[in-house]
Order: sequence, then C-alpha cells, then structure tokens
Amino acid sequence: MYQYNEVDQTLVDERVEQYRDQTRRYLAGDLPEDEFLVLRLMNGLYIQRFAPMLRVAIPYGLMSSEQLRKLAHIARTYDKGYGHFTTRTNLQFNWPKLEEVPDILAELAQVQMHAIQTSGNCIRNTTTDPYSGVYANELEDPRAYCEIIRQWSTLHPEFAYLPRKFKIAVTGSTEDRAASQVHDIGLHLVKNDAGEIGFEVLVGGGLGRTPVIGKVVRDFLPKEHLLSYLDAILRVYNLNGRRDNKYKARIKILVNALGVEEFSRLVEEEWEYSRDGELTLTSAEIERAKGFFTPFDYDVNAAADTSFDQKIAEDRAFKTWYERNTVDHRVEGYRIAIVSLKPHLKPAGDITDAQMDLVADLAEKYSFGEIRSTHDQNLVLADVKKADLYSVWQGLEASNLARPNIGTLADMIVCPGFDFCALANAKTLNIADQINERFDDLDHLYDLGDIQLNMSGCINACGHHHVADIGILGVDKKGEDWYQITLGGSSREDAVLGKVLGKSVAADDVANTLEKILDVFVEHRQEEELFRDTYKRIGMDPFKENVYALAH
Amino acid sequence: MPLLINKKIVANDNWQSIDVESLEQAQALPSGDIIVPLSFYLENRDDLLGRDGQLGIQVNGDDDLQALYAEQDNIALVAVEFPIFRDGRGFSIAKHLVRTGFNGEIRAIGDVARDRLALMQSSGFNAFLIPEDRFSEEDLNAFTEVSVNYQGTAADPRPIFRR
Ligand code: HEM
Ligand code: SF4
Repeated sequence: MYQYNEVDQTLVDERVEQYRDQTRRYLAGDLPEDEFLVLRLMNGLYIQRFAPMLRVAIPYGLMSSEQLRKLAHIARTYDKGYGHFTTRTNLQFNWPKLEEVPDILAELAQVQMHAIQTSGNCIRNTTTDPYSGVYANELEDPRAYCEIIRQWSTLHPEFAYLPRKFKIAVTGSTEDRAASQVHDIGLHLVKNDAGEIGFEVLVGGGLGRTPVIGKVVRDFLPKEHLLSYLDAILRVYNLNGRRDNKYKARIKILVNALGVEEFSRLVEEEWEYSRDGELTLTSAEIERAKGFFTPFDYDVNAAADTSFDQKIAEDRAFKTWYERNTVDHRVEGYRIAIVSLKPHLKPAGDITDAQMDLVADLAEKYSFGEIRSTHDQNLVLADVKKADLYSVWQGLEASNLARPNIGTLADMIVCPGFDFCALANAKTLNIADQINERFDDLDHLYDLGDIQLNMSGCINACGHHHVADIGILGVDKKGEDWYQITLGGSSREDAVLGKVLGKSVAADDVANTLEKILDVFVEHRQEEELFRDTYKRIGMDPFKENVYALAH
Repeated sequence: MPLLINKKIVANDNWQSIDVESLEQAQALPSGDIIVPLSFYLENRDDLLGRDGQLGIQVNGDDDLQALYAEQDNIALVAVEFPIFRDGRGFSIAKHLVRTGFNGEIRAIGDVARDRLALMQSSGFNAFLIPEDRFSEEDLNAFTEVSVNYQGTAADPRPIFRR
C-alpha cells in the first residue's frame, strides 16, 4: 500500500497544528462560530445529536494493521470503545470531545492517517472496488490512480470551497462494487480500440433528495490526462454550480440544468487551457504510484494445500461461512475473505476496539497486514491462503465477525438514523433489528439469494436506499416514524434508481411488508433467479398488489 | 482595513474603490488609481480608459467573467470579491487571470480572513484586504502554516511530481 514520504508526513503534521490553532482560536472566541463550522467540517468534525462526530479518512478503503490498531486505540481512549464504518469506507467516531480532537488527529498522523476533507464542501475521500488488485477480471488496479487523485485533491487551494461536497469513485473492471455511477465523478478504467488504457468519465451522479445516475461526458480519456481533466470539471463546477440553495448545489443539478452536451462542451473548452500542461501525468509518476500496489509475494505452493478440503468436509459452519463470506482470488490457493460487520441485532458497520484489534492481528498474520473497508460497510481481508481460512474464520467467529450473511438480505447498508443523526426523520437501527429478527433463519436467507437492502433515516440518503433491490426511507408523518419502500434499484454496473412501491408503512409493519414483497418474489421466481431479475421481468405491479391489497 | 501584500502590511493603499452610486452622482470621473465595478466599467469603458491614473475592476462570481477576461489587458488591478465565507468562486477567477498572463494586482476583498489566506495566495491572489475586526498581526503566519502543496501554485504551477 502507499507509504507516506517526508512531504506527505509534513502535510498531515502541519495540518494537525493548524487545526489545533483553529480550535484554540475558536474556544478563545477569536474565530466566529460559522467560520469554525466550515473549518471543522473540512477536518471531518460534525456536531451531532449528542456529541461531535469525527470522520477519519481511509483513502480508497485501504488500511494497515498498524492503522487499524490505532483506530482501536482511539476508540478506547477518546470514545466509547467503538467506531462506525460508513458507505464512503471511512470510519466515524460518535463520541469524541471537541477539545480532544486535535490530540486524536495527532495520534492519527503518527500512523499516516488524518481526517482531512472527510466532510465539508470539498473533494472527499476517493473510493474504489474493495477487491482491487486481487480480482481476476480486472483491467488494471485502480488504486494507483486513487492515490494520484488523493494527492491532487488534498488541500487543493482552489477547490476547498466548492458549492457542495464532491465525491469521486474509480473502478478497474466492468463490474462496479464502488457505486461509481452515483458519484459526482465516476471513473472507469477501460481499454480503447488501440489497446490503450484510459478512463470512461461519468459526471453528475448522486443520491440525496434528487437522486441521479451519472452521465458519460467522455468515452475515453487517456490516463495521462486524468488530473487535467478532473481539474477542468472541478473548475466548471466551482464557477457555475448553484450557491443559492444547498439542495441544488451538487454537480448533478448543474449537469441536468445545462444538459450533458453543454456541460461537456464547457469542460472541453476549459480543458483547452490545461490539456498537455503541467498537470499531465508523467509515466514516471504513474509507475511510481503503481509501485505501491504491486502483487504480494504469494506462496507458490498455496494451491497444493489439502488441509482446507478436510476442514470443509468436517465443519459445516466453516463451509457455510466459506461459501457466503469468501470470494475468488486472482491467485490460485488464495481467497478474499469478508469480515461481516452485520452481526445479528447490532448496528451495521459498527465495530468495537477489541474487534478492530482482532482484525488487525488476523490481517497481520494471514493477509499481508492489510485490511480494506467496503462501501457496504464490511471489511475485507483480501489475500488469505486457503490453508489459513479456517484459522481466520475461527478468529472472526469468536469475535462475532463471521455471520455468514454477505450478500443476503441481512447484509444491509444502514445509516445511523435518529439515534445519532441530527438530520434524521426516523429511526433506522430499530427497523434493522426488526428485519433481522424476522429473517433470522440463515437457510431462508440463502434460499432467497443475493438481495441488497439499504436504509436511510431521511432523504439525504446516506444509506443509499435509492440504489438497492429493496430500499427503505424513514419519513416523518406528524411526529411518527413511517417508512417508504422502493424496489428495483441498483448501484452496480447496471445502476438504476428504485421505484416507490406505494404509500409508506408504519414502523411496526416494515418486516411484514418485506415478507409480502418476498412472497411475491418466491412465487414468481424462475429457478435460482435473483430478486433483481425477477423484478425486472415482472415489474412493480405484482408487488404492489400483494402489499396493498391485503392491507384493506 | 489592513491591506497585505507580499506578507506585509501596506501602510498606504494608493487605490480607491468606488461604488456605482458615487460614480453616477459624481460630476466627473475621479482622478487617481480607482477600482470600479465591472458593470460600470463596461458602460463607461472609453471614458475610463482615457483618464489619467490606473484602473482596476471589481468582480465577483455573479459577474460576466468573460467580459472581465476580455478587458484584462487594459487594467492594472482586479479586485475579486468574496461575498460570503463559503463562496469559493473567487479562487477560480484568480486562477484564470494568472494562467492567461494577467500580471497586475489580484486583490481579495470581502469576506477575507486568516484561514483562507494561504489558499488564496496559492490560487493567484497577491493582495488581501482584510476587514479590521477580523485582522490580527498573527494572520501573517497563515501563509506558512502548511508548507506542502501537491497541485502547484500560482508562483510555481508544477504539481509535486514535476518538481
Ligand atoms: C450522522 C451524521 C451524518 C450527517 C449529518 C450526514 C449528512 C448528510 C447529508 C446532509 C447528505 C446529503 C448531501 C447532499 O445531497 O448534498 C448526506 C449524504 C450522504 N452521506 Fe451522510 N451524514 C451522516 C452520516 C453518514 C453516514 C454514517 C454515512 C455512511 C453510512 C454517510 C454517507 C453518506 C452518503 C454515501 C451520502 C450520499 C451522497 C450523495 O448524495 O451522493 N453519512 N449525508
Ligand atoms: S440519511 Fe439522514 S438520517 Fe441517515 S445519516 Fe444521513 S442525514 Fe442522518
């Protein structure tokens, strides 16, 4: 993974001191409240329902064992012993003290971490496929480009006060595990007819109150132009994005207002100034970045192992976990193991300090000391030898991190909702529990196959409810929590927004309603068909009929 | 209002900023070095250019920036207004002026205070007019708080990988 050099380290160290001084001036009354708000947001600090919330950046979801141990230490020392992984692959602490944040940042800087630009109207953490570098069908490892973007976007002087937040995702294969089409910019590594590698560039995706799928502004951007082209897009946005209404300030609104042709024309016109200029990537720079993400020294004898087959034959629970929570690795004899942060009846994405330490240890012992976080709020040990899987599983199992539910209905994305979030309309955690209690039979979940269920506590859509097979949105009806359900969304390569099923349902009725939806699916399903395919085939009406007909 | 140029407080500002109302009420165009709003400039271009004294134009992100850029060779100063703290358009205006070779003064005015000075300078501003109540001597330290820049600056546009 990327290792800081002296320059990178100097930047985070100086940023800590700068922020310490800003906090000091604020507490002394020298910095106005509204100004400090913007400054602290740019450093990942929100003030929430009960306490501040600090979001730590995990660049493109990749961290080392040492870094995860540091996060565990911070959770233990400065927080209530846990953290929360978000859909931007970052980690959130829910209970830090405002005065202690500079100290937390100083601790982070010791392990090459920070909270820079994890919030605020600036370029946020760039995300990517959690299987980067280990997935068989990859064109190129996107992380080198993520790192190049990370450096370019960090403390960018011109783009620190954008109209609104700005999110970039990069994928390296035709499969999309990064929800790239609902990002402000989605970059897909592609090969052109001449066999050169470059990017397909999408702009203007986003969720929130106006969900939009990104639009292609360029079919092929040669890779050396990556930064100059991003620079052009950002400048067009910075100058033209709306600033009078924060709900209309995202780039998606600008792209829709201008039309994608006009927007692209403005970008190309702007690009004329910088194309082939200083921002053009040198091949030395691309190679340097790639050098940090070369394949590990894999054991050439890994595939010869037989202990694994024996364990699988002996231990049914292990077999189940293996089938559900591990994925093919590019190298024979290795697997990608997913650490489920969706244990039964616990908030999605939450992880205790002890669990962090354990995962860090397992990674160190069995997965080259690296851990990845995913946009659906799980962790990944990407390079586990098959012979070691049993030990990894035992470790995870003992810490409640091995529930074999990846990809099932129980592997939900859930935002914190009313319990933590000041903007929430409704609770989410209780509804997640209700669903988990109703669908607690794993065999039943396996029978249903892969289903993505996402839930948000308000229209801001932090839980990505628009782009799930089944989406749940909390709404407030005269002081009561109600839930609107959408079907048929996807954040994958076939990205599409879900459609509203009908009138929202009462809090007590969510699991019942899900059951009715799934009944329709099971009834119409052909063989092993996935929920999304059945939905595409039969449409919304049968679901609607079953849910609402029975209600009267 | 303290004016910072080259990280120093400038005692005498030879520029006088004049709003549209005063300009319209005046019998004749004022003499000396004056800064006028872009709209006024566009309407009175020839008279203003025929005058003695240097000329500056004041803009913000709502103005027709192409009209400013078309005139930038005729003027010695651009005052870019930051109407509110969160408005970041001024950074891109400065950037454009620098890259198209404007070598006069690019002055940040409006909501200008310490925590954005370094970013403004990197984007191309070379003068900063700070409201009295937001100014302190310590602000001069703001320029060196973070010494690292990855992207390139107005002074040295090379990104870090070309340095
Ligand atoms: C608890 C404090 C939080 C607050 C106050 C908050 C606030 C917001 C707001 C206001 C938006 C809408 C932005 C817009 O449309 O312009 C948003 C979107 C989003 N948030 Fe949060 N959020 C919080 C927590 C989280 C968490 C825990 C996650 C991850 C699970 C998250 C991930 C996201 C994502 C992915 C979006 C959608 C971005 C898009 O529109 O493209 N947020 N958040
Ligand atoms: S979706 Fe709404 S309730 Fe959930 S975290 Fe975001 S802002 Fe809060």
